[in-house]
Amino acid sequence: MSRLVDTIRASDAAIRNRSLEALVVGMECEALLAECAELEGFRHKSENLYERVRALFFLFALCRFHLPNQLAPGANAGLIPFEGYEHLLQRRFEEAIECFLVAQRQAGPSDALFSGLATAYHRLAFQTLADQVRRSVRSVQGNQWMFRVGHSLDHPLRIRNELATKTADGSFPLLYEQTAVRMDLTHSAWSDIFFLGMDYPEGARVVNVSIDLGVHGRDEKPRPPVEAFVRVIDEPVLRLTSIDLGATAEICELGEVFDFARDHLGLLKAAVIAAGIVPPGLEGSGQRLADVLAQLVGPGLGLEIVSNVRGIPKGSRLAVSTNLLGCLISACMRATGQATALTGPLTEAERRVVAARAILGEWLGGSGGGWQDSGGVWPGMKLIEGVLATETDPEFGVSRGRLLPRHQVYQRNEISAETRAKLQASLVLVHGGMAQNVGPILEMVTEKYLLRSRAEWQGRQQAMELLEEVVAALRAGDIRALGALTTRNFAGPIQTIIPWASTAFTERLIEQVRSEFGESFWGFWMLGGMSGGGMGFIFAPEQKLKAQARLIELMLQTKHEMEQGLPFAMNPVVYDFAINENGTHASMLSAGTALLPAGYYTLIVPQLLRQDRRNLSPVRRAELDRFAGACRTRPELSGVVQELFDSLMPRSSSAETAKSDLAGLLVENGFDRFQHEQIRKDLRDGRIGLAQNRLPAASQIEDVRDEDVARYEDLGAQAELGNELLRAGTVAVVTLAAGSGSRWTQGAGVAKALHPFCKFAGRHRTFIELHLAKSRKRGRSAGRAIPHIFTTSHLTHDAIAQHLARVDNYDYPGPALLSPCRAIGLRLIPTVRDLHFHWEETPQQLLDEQQQKVRTSLRAALIQWAQKTGEGSDYTDNVPGQCLHPVGHWHEVPNLLRNGVLRDLLAERPQLRFLMLHNIDTVGADVDPALLGWFAQSDAALGFEVIPRRVDDRGGGLARVNGQVRLLEGLAMPREEQEFHLRYYNSMTTWIDIDRLLEVFGLKRTDLLSPEKVNTAVRNFAAKVPTYVTLKEVKKRWGHGQEDVYPVAQIEKLWGDMSAMPGVSCRYVAVPRSRGQQLKDQAQLDGWLRDGSAAWVNALCAWE
Amino acid sequence: MDIKKAVITCAGPTQRTLPLQTLVDRQGQTNTALSIIAAEAVSAGIEELGVVIHPGDEQAYALAAGTHASRITFIEQAEALGYGHAVHCAAPFVGGKPFLLMVGDHLYVSAREESCARQLIDCARRESCAVSAVQATRESKLPYYGTVGGKLAAGRTGLYEIDLVMEKPTPTQAEQQLIVPGLRAGSYLCFFGMHVLTPAVMTALAAELAGNESPRKVTLSGVLNMLSGRERYLAVELNGRRYDIGDRYGLLTAQLAIALSGKDREEVLTGLVDLLANQPRA
Repeated sequence: MSRLVDTIRASDAAIRNRSLEALVVGMECEALLAECAELEGFRHKSENLYERVRALFFLFALCRFHLPNQLAPGANAGLIPFEGYEHLLQRRFEEAIECFLVAQRQAGPSDALFSGLATAYHRLAFQTLADQVRRSVRSVQGNQWMFRVGHSLDHPLRIRNELATKTADGSFPLLYEQTAVRMDLTHSAWSDIFFLGMDYPEGARVVNVSIDLGVHGRDEKPRPPVEAFVRVIDEPVLRLTSIDLGATAEICELGEVFDFARDHLGLLKAAVIAAGIVPPGLEGSGQRLADVLAQLVGPGLGLEIVSNVRGIPKGSRLAVSTNLLGCLISACMRATGQATALTGPLTEAERRVVAARAILGEWLGGSGGGWQDSGGVWPGMKLIEGVLATETDPEFGVSRGRLLPRHQVYQRNEISAETRAKLQASLVLVHGGMAQNVGPILEMVTEKYLLRSRAEWQGRQQAMELLEEVVAALRAGDIRALGALTTRNFAGPIQTIIPWASTAFTERLIEQVRSEFGESFWGFWMLGGMSGGGMGFIFAPEQKLKAQARLIELMLQTKHEMEQGLPFAMNPVVYDFAINENGTHASMLSAGTALLPAGYYTLIVPQLLRQDRRNLSPVRRAELDRFAGACRTRPELSGVVQELFDSLMPRSSSAETAKSDLAGLLVENGFDRFQHEQIRKDLRDGRIGLAQNRLPAASQIEDVRDEDVARYEDLGAQAELGNELLRAGTVAVVTLAAGSGSRWTQGAGVAKALHPFCKFAGRHRTFIELHLAKSRKRGRSAGRAIPHIFTTSHLTHDAIAQHLARVDNYDYPGPALLSPCRAIGLRLIPTVRDLHFHWEETPQQLLDEQQQKVRTSLRAALIQWAQKTGEGSDYTDNVPGQCLHPVGHWHEVPNLLRNGVLRDLLAERPQLRFLMLHNIDTVGADVDPALLGWFAQSDAALGFEVIPRRVDDRGGGLARVNGQVRLLEGLAMPREEQEFHLRYYNSMTTWIDIDRLLEVFGLKRTDLLSPEKVNTAVRNFAAKVPTYVTLKEVKKRWGHGQEDVYPVAQIEKLWGDMSAMPGVSCRYVAVPRSRGQQLKDQAQLDGWLRDGSAAWVNALCAWE
Repeated sequence: MDIKKAVITCAGPTQRTLPLQTLVDRQGQTNTALSIIAAEAVSAGIEELGVVIHPGDEQAYALAAGTHASRITFIEQAEALGYGHAVHCAAPFVGGKPFLLMVGDHLYVSAREESCARQLIDCARRESCAVSAVQATRESKLPYYGTVGGKLAAGRTGLYEIDLVMEKPTPTQAEQQLIVPGLRAGSYLCFFGMHVLTPAVMTALAAELAGNESPRKVTLSGVLNMLSGRERYLAVELNGRRYDIGDRYGLLTAQLAIALSGKDREEVLTGLVDLLANQPRA
């Protein structure tokens, strides 16, 4: 019988909670495969959701972390059936698993197949969990009816009479809701993730506080941060406005309500649906919105819903968006009689409905949050905890816990008013300015908890014990003890569970605060999913004012030092806060007071003024008159008229300034306008484009033969020669550091090289430091420092130069040089043809049902954007750095010739013969003597390192193309499935024989002294290298930490194509994954750490 | 339980004219709605009728009551202060006895020989307690009715023990508190417009009206909800249907239902078929 299945099924918690690592210690490949077979059978039979999911996570972990290490070296390279990959993309995970298992039975186990299986098991596990949460959200009593309403005449809600009755001045009254946001005093060790609360409700507990906020120095006093307004209007439309996002729309069609990504009103639309105003059952029903509104409000009438976040930046970790959703839903529920009281607070039962609806709204909008996030709807301080499902719950028999937790509000006799005041007097809340995607972290936590990974599970138990201590400290009114506890939590359980929760920025801040405030600094407190955004610092109360002032300085200064490497969405802010003892709260504004915030009018009035007054409805006209009157009499509206003028007749804007900066940068970087115009013409005429990147369909593309590729395992004998060459100083390293890591920070435009991505030897290290540490170690053992060159671009050069100067080249003993870029491109608005090609003709990961709907809607909006802005026109509507692009890594090596870096290095070290070129994110690449020896003996110009393919390795590979062994870019692959016939993937690490390479360009070492000769040689050669059109995602930042992502077109020449150029002799070697793995996405980090790669890389380094 | 009196409420500002509407009854006689309602009560053994009216309506109502006028005591609700208040206006008329409560804008068609009122009164006599007639109703109609939650009385079909009464609940409230086992999803037990109530209701109404600043806030449903906690209170599904003549096309629907269940069924059906057959194409 299987030990793993027994563990999953055990009723004894001590057995059930055993970790997978402990269970499989000492098991060999055959035994592990037998366990996999048992688990696979078990998961199909088990009726219990969490047993199935845990079996899936076990299977994932076995395939990802345990089985690959058990394979004989020769079994590494294998093929992944394309059919299985297609199933993965289409979210047909069961079919994908079946396909991979069949392949495994036929061809035997391989690293490639394990990677496919691991991915499929992992995704199926999360899909199963997400489906269950969705089912539970729908089946929560109070939500079910909304899915049954399929016709306007079936709509069971009616607007309350109080809102539908006009006041004396002819206007409709305004319902005004204000809601707090929430902070989690305990950091729940992420136990507020729905899946976890439903699996292990005993472990899901948090102390959650509702707070008002103000930005220190900007706002007079803290206020509820989110507000919503609802009123009847005399037009049969749904008018939605987000004041803080500057977006407004009059919705006339039902379909538009469900079109979430069309504009920035997705959250309002989700609220309208989740509150039952437009019930979700009406989606796709073909009903008319006017009929729905007629039933709900009355014939010819409509509703206006306005939201406002009072300048609180995104990413605050205070659940602003969930509470805004809660605020909007509360207001809509009151307006339609779903809450007993039109004004004042809600009842407990109503708050629970709001929480359930907010979860529904988040699901509809394709986002997600924790179950404590709508805490701002409740008053004051409360314990929120998971609840075991009982027979009356829809979750009973499916999961151990209920979807919705229980809220127990602390009374004053439990946590005194004095303690609350003391907390406010000691805590400094800040937003560090970083905006990060916490999604991957939430997945990591879920996976680790369900695997019961030993250290993480212990961390979770510690976090639960800490909660008890936090509550005790609050009951005792001991804020100093609270500070010590939150610090212990951050340094202990939180980082044990997720090392990535901390950032270099956070740790630097804590260090600085601790050294400045000493004993008066009582503790650090991480809010939400990860640090860097919303954070808390607890001080002795007499130091709070000083600390607020000092923290803003420290954060700004630290941000300034690190922003080239870390993604900051905004400047840091310090908040003023107060505990909100009301929760969500509503009032009615009528007659003279029924005015919306000033921001609403600056947004709406310019549009109204452009219309003929006679076309405005009577209510609109009356409101304008009222607003005009109020501007004269109400002091808070005194500046609005000026803002209106600015809005109607904009003065020279910052956009124009940015354009002139861009022009300057183009000139500085030698932008070739003539060539650019040619590219634009070709792009518009369809001569170049994504489809044209591909080789002719008739090309014969086959996998390489075994004899085409050397194997690293066979090169031991070459190490001696390699060591000799190292000692002789014949080799230098070239690290490609021109890029901004589009995937790494989702287009945030930072220098990836400077990203302090992982902790080694006790602190965060940048990619640059890591590469220098490896070169230091090799140089040290050879007794000769290795020159290390970093190629840079307009985007990264100054940042890297300044950084290296600041850290004194990390005390690197040899030359650490920069090779600045000599080529630059200007991004273009993509053609609709390329957008369609990218989204429809290349394999795309289908998203979860609701997220896919949102994506489809977003894509329609982006196509409109491209058409409206002009296909093929220059992309200039962003900061200059985001409009320019490096023109591909092919240029980096010729740049070394053109910019004189290689010339000078050769003059200083004539013995230099070889370069090892690698990507910034190929963290395992170092000057391995065996590889150096192999390459030196090969007599080739270039030696490429490849790795056995895994399912995530997309973008080409090593192939025989019409009989010629070469690297083939994914962009050039005529058919997607051909990539899956190739066993090896390009790691991009290349050994270069300098003299042979110069020969390829038609140059000799002495020619490097003649720039003209070099330029001509490079230009002539470049003309023969293929140019690709690619689409990249760039972020445009605006407002308070808001970000939009746009696809833009750029052109590139890629280094791998050197292998296809006539006259360039190339060799290939397959290296282990730990050496060739590239880190493209931060979500890869955890697996990379857990599979031992990080430790392996660390062993290559000498940090001092 | 001896039930000899019925109260019919007709004072609502929007329903005052409804009982005066003319229809053809099951026997083919032209009658007013009021007269048909009174006949329903009388058929169930009711001897005296208390009709709650708006001041000044008595003459028209007396005329509309036809042959039943002699059994009627008109009770004026001096001010439109809500339904709870209207029912309470009949307290002196009821005089501490159980009574049948009906509304002036509902007509009934029984599927059995006994009228709906008869079925209800028989049930109340059998069970010796207050009973409200209910009908399973789709959730889209919840904004119009008082609704009850409860469970089937052990071993009985169509009889429910009431735990909770809510006036015009939202579907959210209904789903959370008013689900009754045995009904289809999205269906709830809504009032049929006909109750047999005990004198305790009048006492409770009096107490609520006295204790509340605004009489309009006192609803019969609220008081019935209190009653459900104090004494045995049942709901029964009758073998028949109610027709709200205040609805859009409500009068027409009620007329058709009555006619199709009466002696002129063939004639009306023929008329309908003819109407459909000669409908001009749109």
